[in-house]
Amino acid sequence: MNIELNINGSTHSIECEDRTLLVEAIRDQLGLTGTHVGCDTSQCGCCTVHLDGQAVKSCSMLAVQAQGASITTIEGMASGDTLHPVQMAFSACHGLQCGFCTPGMIMASADLLRRHPDPTDDQIREGLAGNICRCTGYVNIVAAVKTAAKMIQQAPANRA
Amino acid sequence: MYPFTYVRATALADVAQRLKADPDAKLLAGGMTLLPTMKMRLAAPSALIDIGRLTELSGVSAEGDGLTIGAATRHAEVAADATVRSAIPALAELAQGIGDPQVRARGTLGGSVANSDPAADYPAAVLGLDATIITDRRSIPAGEFFKGLFTTALASDEIIRSIRFTRPVRAAYAKFAQPASGYAMAGVMVAQFPSGIRVAVTGAGPCVFRWTDAEAALNRQFSVESIQALSLDASGLNADLHADAAYRAQLVKVMAAQAVARLTGTAR
Amino acid sequence: MNAATPALSRVEDRRLVTGQGRYTSDWNLPGQLYAHMVRSDRAHAVIRSIDTSGARAAEGCVAVLTADDVKAAGFTELPTGAPVKATDGSMQVKCPMPVLATDRVRFVGQPIAMVIATSARAAQDAAEQIMVDYDDLPAVVNMEAAVKPGAPTLHDVSPTNLSAVAESGDEAAVKAAFARAKYTTTLSVHSQRLTGAPMEPRASLASFDAASGLYTVYTPTQGMLGMRGSLSQVTGVPQDRINVIAQDVGGSFGLRGGTFSEQVLLMLAARTLGKPVKWTSTRSELFASEWHGRALTLTGHLAMDADFNILAMRWDDQADLGAYTCYFQAFIGTRNLAVTMGGVYKAPALYCRQELIYTNTVPVSAYRGAGRPDIAYAIERLIDEAAAQHGIDRIELRRRNFIPNSAFPYTTANGTVYDGGDFEGTMDKALAMADFAGFAARKAEAAQRGRIRGLGFGCYLEASGAGGAPKDVVSARFGEAGVVQVFGVTGSSGQGHETSFAKIVADGLGIETRQVRYRASDPTQELVGNGTGGSRSLYGAGSACKMLVARIIEVARAHAASMLDATPESLEFRDGAFHAGARSIALLDIAGKLAVTGTSHPLDCEGEATSGMTFPNGCHVAEVEIDPNTGVTEVIAYNAIDDLGVVISPQLVQGQVHGGVLQGAGQVFGEHIIYDNETGQLLTGSFMDYPMPRAGWINNIRNDYNPVPTTLNALGAKGVGESGCSGSMPALVNAMSDALRGRGVPAMDMPFTPARVWAALANAAKS
Repeated sequence: MNIELNINGSTHSIECEDRTLLVEAIRDQLGLTGTHVGCDTSQCGCCTVHLDGQAVKSCSMLAVQAQGASITTIEGMASGDTLHPVQMAFSACHGLQCGFCTPGMIMASADLLRRHPDPTDDQIREGLAGNICRCTGYVNIVAAVKTAAKMIQQAPANRA
Repeated sequence: MYPFTYVRATALADVAQRLKADPDAKLLAGGMTLLPTMKMRLAAPSALIDIGRLTELSGVSAEGDGLTIGAATRHAEVAADATVRSAIPALAELAQGIGDPQVRARGTLGGSVANSDPAADYPAAVLGLDATIITDRRSIPAGEFFKGLFTTALASDEIIRSIRFTRPVRAAYAKFAQPASGYAMAGVMVAQFPSGIRVAVTGAGPCVFRWTDAEAALNRQFSVESIQALSLDASGLNADLHADAAYRAQLVKVMAAQAVARLTGTAR
Repeated sequence: MNAATPALSRVEDRRLVTGQGRYTSDWNLPGQLYAHMVRSDRAHAVIRSIDTSGARAAEGCVAVLTADDVKAAGFTELPTGAPVKATDGSMQVKCPMPVLATDRVRFVGQPIAMVIATSARAAQDAAEQIMVDYDDLPAVVNMEAAVKPGAPTLHDVSPTNLSAVAESGDEAAVKAAFARAKYTTTLSVHSQRLTGAPMEPRASLASFDAASGLYTVYTPTQGMLGMRGSLSQVTGVPQDRINVIAQDVGGSFGLRGGTFSEQVLLMLAARTLGKPVKWTSTRSELFASEWHGRALTLTGHLAMDADFNILAMRWDDQADLGAYTCYFQAFIGTRNLAVTMGGVYKAPALYCRQELIYTNTVPVSAYRGAGRPDIAYAIERLIDEAAAQHGIDRIELRRRNFIPNSAFPYTTANGTVYDGGDFEGTMDKALAMADFAGFAARKAEAAQRGRIRGLGFGCYLEASGAGGAPKDVVSARFGEAGVVQVFGVTGSSGQGHETSFAKIVADGLGIETRQVRYRASDPTQELVGNGTGGSRSLYGAGSACKMLVARIIEVARAHAASMLDATPESLEFRDGAFHAGARSIALLDIAGKLAVTGTSHPLDCEGEATSGMTFPNGCHVAEVEIDPNTGVTEVIAYNAIDDLGVVISPQLVQGQVHGGVLQGAGQVFGEHIIYDNETGQLLTGSFMDYPMPRAGWINNIRNDYNPVPTTLNALGAKGVGESGCSGSMPALVNAMSDALRGRGVPAMDMPFTPARVWAALANAAKS
C-alpha cells in the first residue's frame, strides 16, 4: 500500500505493507536510522518517537496507523545546528556511552518534560520506566533530564 | 508478523459488519497487547480493523453515579482526565500505573479488558467498581464479563463501546509489578459502596476475582488489621518463574492492606 | 561554558544524540539480500534430516545454507581460544561449535541453517518451511546433573562432560595450613547464568568484490583486528582480504570480540550469491543463542589462626561451559579466578581446583569481568561469613589481613604480582563516606517502621587485562590540515575513545582536543595492538598515545629547527609550539608547511607501549532496606571508593563505575537465565522475564577515588571498565546478608528477587 507519513515537518509518500511497523518505515523506507530497535517485546524504548507530541514506541505501531499524525524522530529534535536542550544536557552530563538507547531516551525525556516541566527525580525515573540503558547506570541520565528542565525553563524559546 | 489486511474504521456500524463477515478479523485499538503478540507470530488475524480513532468510542462523561469511559480511550487520557480524577481518583491512579509512559500513550481501556489478561490492571477496576460493559448489542455486568483465563463473555464479533463505572464512596488501587514485564503480580482494587465493600484482585489468579473474605471482613471493620487477620487460599493462584502461589497470596494481602491504608489515612 | 548551552562532553556525542550514529544494522548496500537463521528447538537431539525443499520453493528465497555448504567451503568450527592445561598434564578437551549443526544439536537455539531471501520477511517465512527431523536425546541442563555418573554425554571425546580439571596454587601448603588452623569457614556461592544484552542487537552485513577478492564485513567489534582474525581463522580467507567495519557499537561487555556463526555465513553467502547479504537478530533470538555469561559455582574455604590471621584460602570452582567451547571461555573459570584468588589479603597459601563442565545450554563466554567479579564477590562473602561465624568484627578481620602498603610490589602465594594499593585506607575512606558509624541508628529507625536495614561492603581487587598482543601501537597522520589524526586498534562501544585518546594526545601536545581525531580499526593502518577488553584500552592504547606525543615532538623538532633557523637542542616545546626565544612556530603550522608525498607526511609517526596487567581495587559500600512484607529491597545509599590509579578523564571513568555498579546490581537483584531442568527449554527468553536494571534501581551512586598510581604503564592508570560490578556484587550481597542474617536467614545466593527474599524471611520466621 501507499501511505503518507508526516515526519519531522515534511510529508513523505512511501510504499509499504499493511504489516510494516512504523519503526521499519522510518528506518528502511525513509532512511532515518537514528530510531533503533533493541528488543522484540516492546520494552526497551530504543524505538521511541513522538506521535502528535507524545512519546510512543514505534516498534509497537503499524506505519499505516501513523498516517495523518505528526511524527518527530530524533533527527527532528535539533534546529539546524542548534541542539535541543535535552540533547545538549545528555552530552554535558555524560548521560550516554554507547549511544544506542540514547535517541529513545531523549525522545522519552522530551515528552516527560512537556508533561512535567519541573520534574522530581521520581517523576523522571517514572517517565523513563519504558527505556532501558545497559551502559550508564542511569544516574547521569536523571541528572541530564534535570539539567534540561532548567535549561528549558530559563530559555522558554528552547521549548520544542 | 504474518500478512493481514489493515482497515481503518470510520463508523462503528461498519466495524460490526466487517467482523461478522470475517471471523478471523480482529479489532485494533492501542495495539499494545495485540501487536507484540502478532510480532511473535503467536496470533495471525486475517485483518485488523483499526478503531483507535473512532470518536464515538473515546471520551469521558459523568452522569449521576456513573462515569462512562469510551473503550478506545487511552490510559494516559484516563490518568490525566479532570473528571476521572475528581469522580474516581483510584481509576486515574490505576491508569497511571499501567506499563510505562509510551504504552499509556497508546493502550486503551477496551483493549486491556477485552482479553481477560490475568495480569492486566483494568479488570480489577471493572470488577471492583461494579462496572457495566456496554457493547454494540447489550450491557454486561462486570460479574458476568470475566469468564476465565483470556476468556470473556463477549461474542467473537461483539464490540465494547464503553465501560460505565459506578462512582464509589471511595476506592484505592495498589499493585505489585513483576520486575521484568511491569504487569501485575497482584493488583487489588478496594472500593466502598453504600451497599458494601468490593475487593477485586488481578494478576494473582487465572482471571480477575473478588476476594469475598476480605469484603466480609472489611464490611465488619474497615481497617488494615481486618486484612492482616485474613489468609488467602493459595491453591488456584498463579505460579510461575517470578512468584509461586504462596507469594502471590502474600502480595494480594499486602496490596489489599495498602489500598485500605490509603483510604483510612494510615498509609506510610 | 555557558549554563544555557553547556559544552558537549565527548567528541562522539553530537552524532549520537542527533541520531547520526552508524550501528551495524544502519548500513545498507545496493541489491542486498536478507538472511534469517533456523535454530534448534531441542536441547539435545540427533538430526536425522533437514528438509529445505519447502524453504527453497518459498517466494523470494534465494538460497539455504546448511552444514554441507559450510563443509564444502572448508570452514573450521568457531574459534575456541587457547586450551587450559589439566591437572594431569593433559590439555583441555575442546569441543568447538560447528558453524551450522551437523549431526547433532546440543542446545536450544543452536544454529542449523541460514535462509537468504529478497526481503527479511521472505527469509523468515521461508525459514518456517524448513523441517528438521530430530531424535531427542536426554539433556543435562545444570552442572550437578551433567557430572552425575551415568549422565547423558554431550561430546564423545568428553564422556563425563568434564572438559577439564585444572588447578592453580599449592594444594599441599593449603592442606597443611588447614590442619593447623584454629578457625575455618566454608561458603559456596553461585554466580548465576546471565545474558550480557548490550542494547544493540547483533547484526551483520557482508559483501564480496569478486574482482579484488575483498570481503567487506560490517559487524559490531571490540576492535577490528580481533574480529578480522576470527573471521579469517574460520573462513580461511587471508586477513588482508577482509575489511571489517564498525563505526558505532552499541555496547559489548565482552560479546563483540570474535565471530559467531552468522558473520562467516554471510561472507559465504555474499561470495556465492554475488550480492551483499544482511542479517539482523531479534532480542529473543539473542537470549537463546548469544553466548551467556557467568554461570560459576565457587566454594571458598578459609583457614585462620587464633588471632584471625588468614593462613590459607582454598577454592573449588565449577564453571558451566554450556554445550560447546568458544572464544574467551576457558580462562574464565580458571586463570581469571586464580590470578586474584587471595583478593586484597595476605594469604600465605592459596589453591584453586577448577572443573569446566559441559551442559545442554548456550555456550558461556566473557561478560563484564569474565570471572574476576565472581572471585572478588566470593572472597568478600567468605570473609563476611567467617566474621559472622566466629564472632569477630568484619572490619577488624579485614584490617588484620590487608596487604600492607609497605609490601608492594606484592607477590601472592600463587605468583601474581600486585602493583600497589592502599587497601586499608580505601576501606576506611569508603566506610566514612557511607557514614558507617551512624548505621546502627538508621537501622533502629527503620526497624520502627517495620523495615530491615543492612549495610555491606566489598573490598574488591581485580586484574585488568594483560592483553594478548605483544604491544599497543598508535599512529599519527598529518595529511589533513589543522588536525592530528590518531589511529589505534582498540574500538569503542561506549567508552568514549574518540575523546579520551584525543585528550591524551592533545594535552600532551598542548593543543585543543578538537584538533586531534582518534579513529579505531582503520584498514589502511596496519597496526599491532589489543582490542578493547579486560579494562585495558585506556592505559594500553593510552600509554601508546603518550609515547606518540613524545615521538611527534621528536620528529617535528628537526623541522622546527630549520624553520626557525635554530638548533634543535635549543628549541623549547610548550603549548603546542616550538620556541626559540621570542620566535615560535606551532606544531600544526609546521605540519601545514610540509609537503605531503603520496599518502604520507613527514611528521607521520608511531608510538608504542607495552602495558600489562594492573590491579584496580576499591571498597564499595551499600545500604539496603528490605520490606519483609513483600521482600522488596530499596538501595538506600551506595558509596564507592576506587583506586584506579591516575584518572585521565574523570567524567568517563565515573560513567564506567556507574554502569558497572548497575550491571552488578542486575545480577544481585534479578537477572537470571533459567532453563527448564527436564526439557532444556529456555524459560527466560526475553525482557518480559529477565529484569534489566532500570532507572530507580539505585538512585544515587557517590564515588570518589583513593588513587595509588601504577608503575606498570606510562599513564599510571589502572583499568576501570569492569571494576564497577566487582565492587557492587559483594557490596550489595553483603548488605543483603547483613540484613537477613539478623533475622536468622542462612546464606543465600543471588538473585535477591522479592519472591526469594520474602520466602527466606518467612521460612526463617517459622523456624
